Amino acid sequence: MKVALKVNGVQRHVDMAPLARLLDALRGPLGLTGTKEGCGEGECGSCAVFLDGVPVNACLVPIGQCDGCEVVTVEGLAAAGHLAPLQACMAEHGGAQCGICTPGMLIAAEALLRRNPDPTPVEVRTAIAGNLCRCTGYERIVQSVLHAAHELRSTEKGAAE
Amino acid sequence: MLAAERVNHRYEPVALVACADKAKLARAVAAVTLDIEPLPAVFDAEESLLGRTVIWGESNVQNRYLITKGAADADDGEAAFEAALRACDVVVRGEYSTHHQEQLYIETNGMVAWWDDDGVHATGSLQCPYYVHKAFKRCFHLEAEQIHITQAVTGGGFGGKEEYPSLIAMHAALLAKKSGRPVRMIYDRVEDFEATTKRHPSRCIVETGCDADGTLRALKMRVLMDAGAYVTLSPVVLSRGVLHAGGCYRWRDVRIEGVSVATNTPPNGAFRGFGAPQTTWAIERHLDAVARRLGIDAGELKRKNLLAEGDSTATSQVLHGSLGGAECVEKAFAASDYVAKRRRGPIVEGRKARGIGCSVFMHGGGFTGSGERMLKGKVAVDLLLGGRLEVRSASTDIGQGTETIFAQIAADAAGVSISAVSVAVPSTTRVPDSGPTVASRTVMVVGSIVERAAREIAERVEAVRRAGESFAAAGDRLLAQEGPQTALVQYEPPAWVNWDDKRYKGDAYPVYAWMVDVAEVEVDLDTFETRVLEFWSAADVGKAIHPLMCKGQLEGGSLQAIGWALSEEVVWKDGAIVNPRMTNYIIPTALDAPPFHTILVEAPYAHGPGGGAKGISELPMDGGASAVAAAVEHAIGVAIDHLPLTPERLFAAWARSNSEAAQ
Amino acid sequence: MSLVDLPRYEFARPATLDETCAMLAEREAKREKTVLLAGGTDFMVQVSQGKLASDPLPLVVDIGRLDELRGVRLDGSRLRIGAAVTYLELQRDPIVREYAPLVAQMTHDIGGPTIQARGTLGGNLATASPAGDGIAAIAAYDPIIEVQSVRGRRRIPMAELQTGYKATTRAGDELIVAIELPLPAHGAAWCWRKVGTRLAQAISKVALGAVAEVSGGKVGRIGLAIASVGPTTSLLPRTRALVTATPLANLTAATVDAVVAEDVSPIDDVRSTREYRVHTAKAVVRGFLRELGAPV
Repeated sequence: MKVALKVNGVQRHVDMAPLARLLDALRGPLGLTGTKEGCGEGECGSCAVFLDGVPVNACLVPIGQCDGCEVVTVEGLAAAGHLAPLQACMAEHGGAQCGICTPGMLIAAEALLRRNPDPTPVEVRTAIAGNLCRCTGYERIVQSVLHAAHELRSTEKGAAE
Repeated sequence: MLAAERVNHRYEPVALVACADKAKLARAVAAVTLDIEPLPAVFDAEESLLGRTVIWGESNVQNRYLITKGAADADDGEAAFEAALRACDVVVRGEYSTHHQEQLYIETNGMVAWWDDDGVHATGSLQCPYYVHKAFKRCFHLEAEQIHITQAVTGGGFGGKEEYPSLIAMHAALLAKKSGRPVRMIYDRVEDFEATTKRHPSRCIVETGCDADGTLRALKMRVLMDAGAYVTLSPVVLSRGVLHAGGCYRWRDVRIEGVSVATNTPPNGAFRGFGAPQTTWAIERHLDAVARRLGIDAGELKRKNLLAEGDSTATSQVLHGSLGGAECVEKAFAASDYVAKRRRGPIVEGRKARGIGCSVFMHGGGFTGSGERMLKGKVAVDLLLGGRLEVRSASTDIGQGTETIFAQIAADAAGVSISAVSVAVPSTTRVPDSGPTVASRTVMVVGSIVERAAREIAERVEAVRRAGESFAAAGDRLLAQEGPQTALVQYEPPAWVNWDDKRYKGDAYPVYAWMVDVAEVEVDLDTFETRVLEFWSAADVGKAIHPLMCKGQLEGGSLQAIGWALSEEVVWKDGAIVNPRMTNYIIPTALDAPPFHTILVEAPYAHGPGGGAKGISELPMDGGASAVAAAVEHAIGVAIDHLPLTPERLFAAWARSNSEAAQ
Repeated sequence: MSLVDLPRYEFARPATLDETCAMLAEREAKREKTVLLAGGTDFMVQVSQGKLASDPLPLVVDIGRLDELRGVRLDGSRLRIGAAVTYLELQRDPIVREYAPLVAQMTHDIGGPTIQARGTLGGNLATASPAGDGIAAIAAYDPIIEVQSVRGRRRIPMAELQTGYKATTRAGDELIVAIELPLPAHGAAWCWRKVGTRLAQAISKVALGAVAEVSGGKVGRIGLAIASVGPTTSLLPRTRALVTATPLANLTAATVDAVVAEDVSPIDDVRSTREYRVHTAKAVVRGFLRELGAPV
């Protein structure tokens, strides 16, 4: 089945079985390996991407449903060669150890901060509750997101003033 | 590598199939039928120990260890020890058990292998490239230079990628050889869960004798571990288990017996802690019981008996220096207000009960006894143009920060900026064998030779440097004049380390890291769900080269211990795993995890790099479970000695104790 | 991934509900299997485990974007929820939050944010798992499930929908279109209590949806439903009868426990035990009744 979709702002095309997973489309013909597979059953969240603005598990979305859709992956969170504040904070504040859960965490955290620029720690934990991490104990991930939220708010304030 | 006449566990590999077309491969696998005659099987360690059905060796027993001290060292040691134990004021006996745990790294095991004119190549998710290298030498009868093993970026290991990757790599290489094509073998989650190694289940029987005032005297322990169908790492896991069985306490008389037996389950293997979490669970829960019997607080009992300068351990190792345990107790108790909260008793509000509990523990860094001497771990540091250094070691970064910390150590030792240091990808073609990335040895042992090698390079440059000349210019001149500059350094354990492998006595580890956990929990009196509300810990890490990463290790390990305690459970039926998926193997989410308050304590280790760093990555795994169990006991008055503390088990234990109370 | 069959699944995206019903009727007549796909959070897991494989393979029909299955509407005292509205949309919908807070609350306990973004009540009802949290929440309202086929629209009361484990009275060519909740009086008490394997991304061990209108110390209307305590969602008929027949002050823990025990029939499984589920079902029902003022 021929599917046309926008990926990270660029119009792309794939030709795959309609039930092939969006995850396999991304990691295969679309050449974007930032999105990871940890469980293949929608439990770990390491395959999270934005689909039409909403965070979803790419392992649970058939490519056949993606025709005409817009997908944003971790590669699309910042311009090439740059780190978005969320990404920089994750690196700086110990939010990433082995890094396998990090792309999915970033998508979940980005989704949160777009709607809620000043989250509480519990709100952060709720937003990333579908992203399993085995390395960090989550504490530093939560701190990283809070730091990024603060930084983004300061930038906004600075820009406004 | 492949089962020949006997299949000894449900997930033992029997045949290998490869194909370029994934769909065709799936059809081929589905078309394979196995003609297998069932044999009597044993799935339980206690049953195996009885030896009625022999499935391994003569008696199913793979290894035994015996640690003795004091009265137990006498000629009639066993009788003398019994007498000493019975002569104590208060004797307490208990049984404690722990269950399988799956590492559940978020990236599964996988390897890619291919052959070319240079020999055989394998790249994959692994912890120990030279383990795979060694396996290939034996399996394919090749010379060292013909084998090229490289670590790919690895999404978590925790011990689960210490030995198993060798098997996958050999499988892929065999298929690659036969097919003449590169072969990729990546386990899906179900395969990984079913076939790869897990934490050894254990059953400990503990009997202690102490004075009426709580001074500990005699410790008797029997440690039984379930090895699974093959030996693999079980002797070493059992060894570390028994070596940590005395906890961090002073004992006058000790008799610790360890035994590992085979069962028809997938071989168990390395998982953070490596035997110590199992015996630490037993000794900590046991001392909680002793404290209850004596009517004193468990934290006070543990603090009172803590090993200090000049004291000797259960293996008669006399401890000198780098003993931060007491400071950890003080700081963890202060931060959590443990003493006052314990004294106040459980707080019941509506249908919720809150309690607090602690654990105190230590973990030996590096390989036991003469292990490091036998390993002869090596590291190379090269001087490159422009004053740059490259660190070449076999230590892998699996999330614990090896790459960053080695760069820090080298930069500091050489007096250069960290941006001038690169750490080579661990490939056996390029890096020397530094020993495996296990046993909390990467920073403490391998880091110390990174430090020496970097210092050596810097000294060479300094020797030729002219006044006012930069390091880079002097280095370039040195290279131009004398050719490539490499410092190759081999690890030398401290000379005073004296370990008797036959009697299992002496300096088991050159140094121990210390930790105290305090957990505050809330138990729902209707559903028996346990929430860890807060978690404090203080850990003596020797020297925190990267404080943030240190805390990250302590917190990550603590959450793995909490998961092991409260929700993780491998469910078996006739030697098959019923829940080999993330859906039904329950690790904590961000909502289940408590906020962690982590305090770093520094009691530097004289031989540790960066000013005295000790190995700490396994340490946090040892104590989290017993801190949580102690807190649950404080909250609802039910003492659980067998993991996991699922709501179902807590409910059953509470119902039992309620009906006993009624009677 | 069950890669054996992946390429061979046929996939259809009908543009309208009528087109979909025609397709279903035609295939039903020829005894050809069809699977309806909306959010895919159950479906894709079943595909990857090879559980949907049949010979011949079913036709997969994508209905997630059909306009007729979307939208949330208040019709007097009835709340109408389109079968393909996602949990996330329900969570954010001001009408649902105001008039069916039990449903809004339940959505927070479904998986995690990424599952909530795709999962639907229609899907939950179609999968008909007894562990379905969505079903338990709406069942407390005694809803009408609207299904459509070439024969027209049919309204199935919840109590008549489930016949056994993953079996319903929905015909093979009927499509769930909407869920209609007869709303309780404004200010009615409600409760959503899920006891899962962990606090997120969890399958329920016991999940209670409850709604009650209380006046003068007596319960008028009551709706109760518990997930994971039997082959179907338990609607607790005896418990409902006891609670409506007895003034709240006269209820006792023992009498409540007795009827709940009769109303549920859980099993031991990989996640929990029969004893625990019975105990917890009693405890969460008593918890709700205590909120209403009963001394249980």
